[in-house]
Amino acid sequence: MVTRAPAKTFETVVIGEMLGPHAIVITREQARNYALACGMSTPRFMSDEDARREEGLPAMLTPGNMTLGILAKLVTDWLGSGSGQLARIGTTFRSFVHPGVELTLHGFVTHTDQAARSADLDVWMENEDGERLVVGTATVAFGPAE
Amino acid sequence: MGTILDLHSHSESSEDSRAPVEAYLNWIRLRRDERPVDGIVLTEHRKFDRDADYRELEDRFGLVVMRASEVETDYGHMLVFGVNGELLHRFDFANVHLNAQELIDAAAQSGAVVVPCHPGRPTIGLWEHYRHREPLRNVVAVEVLNGGSRKGEELQSRELAETHGYRMVGGSDSHLVSLIGLCATRFEADIRTMEELVRELRDGRYDAIDFRPGRRSPQRSHTASDV
Repeated sequence: MVTRAPAKTFETVVIGEMLGPHAIVITREQARNYALACGMSTPRFMSDEDARREEGLPAMLTPGNMTLGILAKLVTDWLGSGSGQLARIGTTFRSFVHPGVELTLHGFVTHTDQAARSADLDVWMENEDGERLVVGTATVAFGPAE
Repeated sequence: MGTILDLHSHSESSEDSRAPVEAYLNWIRLRRDERPVDGIVLTEHRKFDRDADYRELEDRFGLVVMRASEVETDYGHMLVFGVNGELLHRFDFANVHLNAQELIDAAAQSGAVVVPCHPGRPTIGLWEHYRHREPLRNVVAVEVLNGGSRKGEELQSRELAETHGYRMVGGSDSHLVSLIGLCATRFEADIRTMEELVRELRDGRYDAIDFRPGRRSPQRSHTASDV
C-alpha cells in the first residue's frame, strides 16, 4: 500500500514539488471489472482475445476513465485529508493503456495562486519505455486560511 | 558563447495545452541546472500569435521567448520559424492540408524557414510520407529529438536526416509546464531574435541536445488498487 501523506496545506505546497513516481500494474481483471461496473461491455475491455478478434486491437484496453481516476487518486492521496480538494482534472489520452504492463504515475506542482489559495499540477502515466500514455493537468483548491 | 533553445513548445494558446508561458519560464528557472536552456519558441498549433508580447516576461526571467507556428501539411507536421505577413496572407495556417513544398519555398523566399517536426512519427511524420512520395526539396533541417516521441521514432528521424543530409534540431513539444526544455537545440551563435534564429537554422552550426533524465527508480506497488 502507498501510505497517505499527511494533510497538505496551501502553505506547504511548493512549486516543483513532485508527486510519485509510483509504479502500478492495472490487472486485466481490474480493467474488465471497471468497464462492467460502468456498463461498458465492449470487447476491447473484456479480454485480449475479444479485443483482437472483435476489434483488431493488439490486446485489451484499460478504460480511459479508469486511468483518469488513477491520476486523480495520485493527486488526492498527495493532498491527504485536510482542506485541500481536487477542483479540476483534465487528461489527454495519447496512446492505448493495456492492462498487465508496468506503468508509472508522475506529477509536479507547477503553479500556485496565493489569492485563490490553489495550485496547478501536471500529472501523467507512462510505460516502461518512458512513453507518456495519458497526460493531464489538475487544480487543487484549499480552504480559507485559519 | 552560443545559445540553447527549446524550438518546439505549446502554451495555453494551443487548444490542447494549459501551460501558461510564465509557468514555463519559472520552471526553466527552477530547473536551470538540469535544463540549461536560454529560451523557448512557442509553436502554437495551426496559428500564429502575431500580437502576443512576452517582453516583460523575458526581462523578468532573463530568457528569450519567440513565436512561431506548427502547421499541418500533406507531408506531416512542420514548424515555421520567421512567420511573416506574406506567409500569413498566402497560407491559411488553420488548413490541415497545406502544400508542404509550396510552404517551404514561400518561407525561403520571404525570410522564414520550415522544419519538419517529429518526422519519425506514424501518420504525421515526414518519414512515412517519404515511403510513398518524392522527397521534398530545400529542407534544411528536421527535428530528431522530440520530448513526446514514442519508442523508435527518434531512431527513424535520425535515419531520415542522415539519409537526406538534413541538419538536426530538438524541441520538447511540451504541452505541460514540467516538460519544457527536455529536448532543445544548441547553436554556436548567440541568438536573441527570430531573424537571427532563421539565419542560423539556414546557415549556422547547431545540433539537437537531450536533457531527459534517466528513468527514476519508482516506489513499487503491485496493483492499481494500491495506488
